[in-house]
Amino acid sequence: MCIAAASPAARAGPPPPTTRAEAALAGRVLPDIELTLADGRRARLAQLWREQALLLTFYYRRCAGTCTPFLEWVRDAVGEVGGLGRDYRVLALTIDAAETTADLRAQAAALRLLGRRDWLFAAASEADVAHIAGALDFRYRLDAVTRQYDHNSLLVGIEQGRVLRALLGTPEGSARLRELVWELRGRFVPLYRMPGRTPLRCLTLDPRSGQVRLDWGLLVLVLPAVLAIGIAGLTFAAARRERARAARGRTQ
Amino acid sequence: MNKVHSNTLYWMAITGVLFPVLILLGIFLRTVQAGGLAPLQSWFYPMMTLHGVGMVGVWYVAAMAGVSQMLTRYVEPTPLIGRVAIIGTLLGVGLLLACVFFGRYAAGWYFLYPLPFKGEWPQWSTVLFLVSLTVLGATWLLWSLDLLRAIAKRYTISQALAWHYLAGRSEPVVPPAVLITTVSLIAGVAALLSGVVVLALFYVELFAGTSNDALLMKNITFFFGHTLVNLTMYLGVALVYEVLPDYAGRPWKTNRIVAISWNCVLLIVLVAYFHHLYMDFVQPGVLQTIGQIASYASAIPAAVVTIFGALLLVYRAPMRWNLASILMFLGLAGWAIGGVGAVIDSTISANVKLHNTLWVPAHFHTYFLAGLCFMVIGYFYHCCQQLAEQPENRGLQRIAATLMVIGAYGVFAMFYFAGAFGVPRRYSIYPAELAYGAKYAAAATGFAAAFLLGFIVYLAETGKRWLRAVRAAP
Repeated sequence: MCIAAASPAARAGPPPPTTRAEAALAGRVLPDIELTLADGRRARLAQLWREQALLLTFYYRRCAGTCTPFLEWVRDAVGEVGGLGRDYRVLALTIDAAETTADLRAQAAALRLLGRRDWLFAAASEADVAHIAGALDFRYRLDAVTRQYDHNSLLVGIEQGRVLRALLGTPEGSARLRELVWELRGRFVPLYRMPGRTPLRCLTLDPRSGQVRLDWGLLVLVLPAVLAIGIAGLTFAAARRERARAARGRTQ
Repeated sequence: MNKVHSNTLYWMAITGVLFPVLILLGIFLRTVQAGGLAPLQSWFYPMMTLHGVGMVGVWYVAAMAGVSQMLTRYVEPTPLIGRVAIIGTLLGVGLLLACVFFGRYAAGWYFLYPLPFKGEWPQWSTVLFLVSLTVLGATWLLWSLDLLRAIAKRYTISQALAWHYLAGRSEPVVPPAVLITTVSLIAGVAALLSGVVVLALFYVELFAGTSNDALLMKNITFFFGHTLVNLTMYLGVALVYEVLPDYAGRPWKTNRIVAISWNCVLLIVLVAYFHHLYMDFVQPGVLQTIGQIASYASAIPAAVVTIFGALLLVYRAPMRWNLASILMFLGLAGWAIGGVGAVIDSTISANVKLHNTLWVPAHFHTYFLAGLCFMVIGYFYHCCQQLAEQPENRGLQRIAATLMVIGAYGVFAMFYFAGAFGVPRRYSIYPAELAYGAKYAAAATGFAAAFLLGFIVYLAETGKRWLRAVRAAP
């Protein structure tokens, strides 16, 4: 069918299963691994999540691709959303087991986050990184030629060792991150914003309060009924005018 | 008796052909669920789609056809628009058959977003399905507007909605059928416009690549479907209000209570659909509450007032019982019984258990098959008999009615029991944990066959009168 073949949806092929992959992560139990923090301290992952909810992401220092821009986006977005430090902390875990604490501090400094208690840069053994990455379906592969890792971007909200929500890839705007962060802050968010543009929504999340608010899409529910009553009114009004005209014609 | 318009006779023929085919599809579905027809199991969901869309569509047009005929007693619908409705409906049905049989489109009659885009069928069959609904929706909207225009030509809006009865005046006389039809047509226009909106959003996603809000799509889809099905029921009830008095030898007039009731229905039917989203926890709570109240409230004006009115009509009346009056009276009973099942399911605490079980098809099969279907086919027989004036074989007619009642209620009972015991709907094959569901399905197949037999007897009785009516029609 020509129309179907011409549509963007058809040309692009089936939509990526981003949301399905994200949904599959919800509720996953994370393994407890040993971490080395940027200040040289050793800590267990379970100890960190018992202290406070965590927003976990993966990166590596030598990344010539998305890692640093992604971390910059996360830094700016969590600053905008609020609650960092008070309700949760960010844990950036390097996937390169060869990185040292100096590399961790250098990465933190590059992002102007050195010394921040609400941002943790950590390293772990190769086996532990593989273990936790496997638990989160986070795929990374070292290219033997370029010595760069081929990987995606992943943000995971963790509460008491379980995944609350996950964001795969680089979200467009901070709206989806807000939903994740509000859950980390203890508010149940019943919405799940889909990737891509949605012209009309019933509900939206107020970024400041974390409350779910009505949105313009709800007006669409009212529109058919209002239009129907309007059309009925116009139909009867037109018929009444016609009768009046006919009556005037008869009297003349 | 007015002459039966040729359009009405065409609709009778279309209904008489399509309905048995759709019944056979229903028998196919229950047979697969009973474990039979293993080589054809992969056709379950396409046929379920066709059965659902087909039944809703056939009975909507049949009820509209009956009402169009009935209204000729009072107003003048446009015959050309009536003919366009036939052609447009047949075209839409053709497109539907193509997408199901050639494309194996199987998103169900709900076509609930995003399923039409996510299935294993080719994208062109989704587009064809949407185009089919567009053709049907546009045709039926035009038809509805023409009937409203015809009513408006004779009555003012306050007369058509019987507002003067609220003030205690009974002049001009407005038959209940005109009041109910006006209410149903306004609701029908709202339903069809919401169909336009949901189809537009599907097309926007298809061609612009945007994502739709799933909650919004579900709300609009159920506004469209629920409202359409309910107003179809009311159109059937309008036929009963019009015709049953002829057999009772008593009038059934509009009064203040009838006027209040049906005006309330117009408001209630537009918001009752929220009960379809009880299990969508993201739906704002206020809408769930509105849905709960409206669902309960809808029973009172429509059913309680009509049922009591009908009982008073026939009580100690010199009733002439033939196939028409029997079916119409039984139709009111089926509507009431199905309505009880609906009210139970529309209670939130009950819906938690019954949601998406076979209780759901149980209630809507009850008020559609033993309710609306009986009312409409009773009316069709009435029209044909009025013209043909053939001697009636009461025995054969009672056999037809009895078989249809036993068959229909047997089908419903199997649905109700299965639903009460937690058998989910829309399963083609039941797993070991739900093996008892197959037994209910097997029994239902037998009952459905009995219903079909009864309907064939009805077709024979009505068919020969239809042929006479065809010869006598203008």
